[in-house]
Amino acid sequence: MRTICRTSFLTLFLSIICAVSANAQAPAPSSMSNSFVVLMVTIIGFLALIIALLAYVLVNAASIKVENELKEKAANLGKTTLVLLIGAVLLVSTSAYAQSGEAASNISTTVSEATYYTLASVAVLELGIILTMLLMLRSVISVNKPATAADADAVVSKAPTVSWWDKINSFKPIQQEADIDLGHNYDGIRELDNRLPPWWLYGFYCCILFAVIYLWRFHVAESAPLSKEEYEIAVADAEVAKAAYLEKSANNVDENTVKLLTDEASLAPARKIFETTCAACHNKNGSGSVGPNLTDDYWLHGGSIQDVFKTLKYGWPEKGMKSWKDDYSPMQLAQLASFVKSLRGTNPPSPKAPQGVLYQEAGVKPDSAAAPKKDSTVVTSTK
Amino acid sequence: MQVEQFYYDNKTVKWFAYAVMVWGLVGMLVGLWASIAMFYPPINLGFAPTTFGRMRPVHTNAVIFAFVGNGIFMGVYYSLQRLCKSRMFSDALSKIHFWGWQLIIVAAALTLWMGNTTGKEYAELEWPIDIAITLVWVVFGINLFGTIIKRRESHIYVAIWFYIATWVTVAMLHIVNSMELPISFLKSYSMYAGVQDALVQWWYGHNAVAFFLTTPYLGLMYYFLPKAANRPVYSYRLSIIHFWALIFIYIWAGPHHLLYTALPDWAQSLGTVFSIMLIAPSWGGMLNGLFTLRGAWDKVREEPVLKFLVVAVTCYGMATFEGPLLSLKNVNAISHFTDWTIAHVHVGALGWNGFMTFGVLYYLIPKMWNTTLYSKRLAGAHFWLGTIGIVLYAVPLYWAGFTQSMMWKSFTEEGQLKFQFLETVTHILPMYIARSVGGAVYIVGAVIMVYNLIKTVGQGSFVADEAAEAAPLSAHVELHGHHHWHRWIEKRPMQMLVFSLVAVAIGGAIEMVPTFLVKSNIPTISSVKPYTPLELHGRDIYIREGCYLCHSQMVRPFRDEVARYGEYSKAGEFIYDHPFQWGSKRTGPDLARVGGKYPDSWHYNHMLDPQSMSPGSIMPTYSWMYDNDINAFRTPKMIWAMRKLGVPYEEGYENKCNADLQKQATEIANGLKADKINVKPEKEIVALIAYLQRLGKDIKAAPKSTTAQVTEAGILGN
Repeated sequence: MRTICRTSFLTLFLSIICAVSANAQAPAPSSMSNSFVVLMVTIIGFLALIIALLAYVLVNAASIKVENELKEKAANLGKTTLVLLIGAVLLVSTSAYAQSGEAASNISTTVSEATYYTLASVAVLELGIILTMLLMLRSVISVNKPATAADADAVVSKAPTVSWWDKINSFKPIQQEADIDLGHNYDGIRELDNRLPPWWLYGFYCCILFAVIYLWRFHVAESAPLSKEEYEIAVADAEVAKAAYLEKSANNVDENTVKLLTDEASLAPARKIFETTCAACHNKNGSGSVGPNLTDDYWLHGGSIQDVFKTLKYGWPEKGMKSWKDDYSPMQLAQLASFVKSLRGTNPPSPKAPQGVLYQEAGVKPDSAAAPKKDSTVVTSTK
Repeated sequence: MQVEQFYYDNKTVKWFAYAVMVWGLVGMLVGLWASIAMFYPPINLGFAPTTFGRMRPVHTNAVIFAFVGNGIFMGVYYSLQRLCKSRMFSDALSKIHFWGWQLIIVAAALTLWMGNTTGKEYAELEWPIDIAITLVWVVFGINLFGTIIKRRESHIYVAIWFYIATWVTVAMLHIVNSMELPISFLKSYSMYAGVQDALVQWWYGHNAVAFFLTTPYLGLMYYFLPKAANRPVYSYRLSIIHFWALIFIYIWAGPHHLLYTALPDWAQSLGTVFSIMLIAPSWGGMLNGLFTLRGAWDKVREEPVLKFLVVAVTCYGMATFEGPLLSLKNVNAISHFTDWTIAHVHVGALGWNGFMTFGVLYYLIPKMWNTTLYSKRLAGAHFWLGTIGIVLYAVPLYWAGFTQSMMWKSFTEEGQLKFQFLETVTHILPMYIARSVGGAVYIVGAVIMVYNLIKTVGQGSFVADEAAEAAPLSAHVELHGHHHWHRWIEKRPMQMLVFSLVAVAIGGAIEMVPTFLVKSNIPTISSVKPYTPLELHGRDIYIREGCYLCHSQMVRPFRDEVARYGEYSKAGEFIYDHPFQWGSKRTGPDLARVGGKYPDSWHYNHMLDPQSMSPGSIMPTYSWMYDNDINAFRTPKMIWAMRKLGVPYEEGYENKCNADLQKQATEIANGLKADKINVKPEKEIVALIAYLQRLGKDIKAAPKSTTAQVTEAGILGN
């Protein structure tokens, strides 16, 4: 009997370890550096420890009970407990596999919602298990009690039952309240001298301990990163991840390698970006308002695809054109630059007067008459 | 011993109760209005006083200082007399207190709608009102201590400890945070600048929550909950420990509002650890309240007063557990600047303060009118509407806050920000709608309560002076059994006052003194220069319109914020900011580095019609800035005040400042002309553009080249 109990306990514990480690490892390494994930994993580990301890207690309690009952030749309840235990083991282990599967498909650079919910649901699941085990433990112990105390005078059957709730708060039964009445009377309000709830008091101590350790780690041992270090770590990690990604992707475009794109598949997404983002200053059709006209042949910062890409990428902040490299990917910027180039010669109504210098398309010779006749040839110099 | 006859003053309590109901409804309706503006900008009406930036301070001030403030006084005036077995010290002072407070409220609402604000959250009121508050608070103090001193009860009850701590701490907070230099009847500048101003402000802001919304209401709980349940207070020992621990620890926690900002790290850490240590003292109050109900839970099902008190205490427990969690840096990194904070404070405000006030009203009014409540069923309806209202309010905002934060922090695999700021706003608009629905449900409940109480008043007869009797205080006090050491101070209200003051003074002093005195806490940056006169005017407009209520000026050291806004903010950048404008909520994007990001014409069009420049934006229009002229007569006074506060303008600059102002304004107007925009240089919009274009620029000039510094040598660098 005892060995079965031991085995089931071991399986339970191992499966929990499985569940936790599956979660801890799957999103690594990127997510593990995220402090939120670390916190959650710590909580999960802590809860697992509690489960393990509880399981140990429970299994022992159950085995004692089973032995007692075997003596009474009524092992039925023991079996139920065992069945319940095995059920719990199955539950946890299946969830462990489910978690690992889920987590594996969920390798993300930051705390994605999926990671968050996975971690949260594991924690909630563990809490549920703890609660169930507490209830089981309670039933195991409480059934035991009357059995041992059965021979004692059963007259006190009506005596107040001490629930776990009363116990963790170290409640004094209401019937004995008079003993702890302090005799104070303020407009009819009396005061009792109840003990501080033990869990509250120890919780308070734990918080104070947390405070000491926290300050020690950040300001004495300096083993935890302060805000600025945290930032530098995050940026460095992101750079590594980005480089690794770009290495493998076709997205590796910069102002030296950018090529004019003319296919509709490239221009359509760019058109959307243009209409939502660029149109505010350049107008929907590119005729210019706050920003310059993009449909003519005059350019403030160069009209080649490389120049336009560069303008988009780095911006000309002092002229009001912001840098877009943090908003759009290199590929998107290439598409956008190509789209801007495609606006040339569309002759929208009421265009803004040309600004900058005349740009001649490199590939196209001036004699090819690609440059459309402009109604205005005024070149306004910029400030 | 001879028993003395005397009368409790119920009249003052009655007036405060009426004020609670009136201001409560007003404050909540203004809040509802402001919440609708979040998804339906036309409700701003294009009219300055009804624009979000002015409605929001009216809402916060009305619910905190008018609704809860009158709620405190109502409860204190009722319970104090009974706990001291004595009428209030002076009827005249009671009257002055009541009317003085109501006048302050009216003045506050009017000035805030007019745009007179100091720009510091929950301390927006201008200096004449600050002085009035101080005077009325002193009147309240005299009345409070006068009553305690002439009491007929040998010891003071725990509720009164909380009242005393409240009084002394609010006085300290109010005076220290309101230090400002007036330049006109309704305009002043904070004496502190930048990081220091932020520290003082959030020391105040956090402890306004602690000592205006929490400790006085804990006092009320300690009176009304045992009275309504007719049960003894659970644990006297718990009262003692949680009282002293609470007031001592609370004061330190202010910096948790400034995590990841330019505040020195050590101060941030103190804010975090003291917030964590605060869990137990806060919960001590909740436990003492809930455990007092042991053996009376059957009554909770029947009695509306208890229902409200139980939910209030539970909400208090939830909010005070969530608060410390939000103070952990990794949680704060997600929650701060989002609607999560708004949800959190409303669990406290609607649940704890609102429900506690309702419970006390349901208790007091039938008692004072010598009748029973008109309808328990209506009270039950109110209870459920209120509870559902809170849930409907909070849940969507938690969701909105978390979602938006995750969207802000999302990067594509190429390393670009995944979402434009505006996308993250439009994404959560449905949650804003749900929030307004929740708020409206809550208000409907409150209206039902007012109706119920009016009916109750109608059926009863008011007892203005309630007869009572008690023996006078004798020199020798009989002791009951075990004598606790704490009984010593319970007989000595003045010592209580002094010890409370000592307890609450320590935390603030330890955090503030080094921040003010130790230079290394705020490293200076040589390229950071004072604002030009025109920019100062623009800054005043920025503050007046409450821009800081939706736009932060604090880029935190996060990868996404640096990518989105630019280099993270440094302490040295804010040394000329009287007051600081870091903000606490990002409904719109951060503006710390907005200078030079867009052309002047963009700002011109954007302030007139935000949707034209950012389609889908929920920002209101500011059309009046295009009609109003700036007050150039005030410029020399502004320069004088700034120099007085330590901003290094050269001596005699007062005489030249308006010429510089004219020059810069004309430059901007001319620049706009090139973009086909005609605007007179003296219009407010020009000053505002000047200010916005300056934001965050100085630091960019710093390290790159020395020539940049040379050209920026004058204070009119750009």
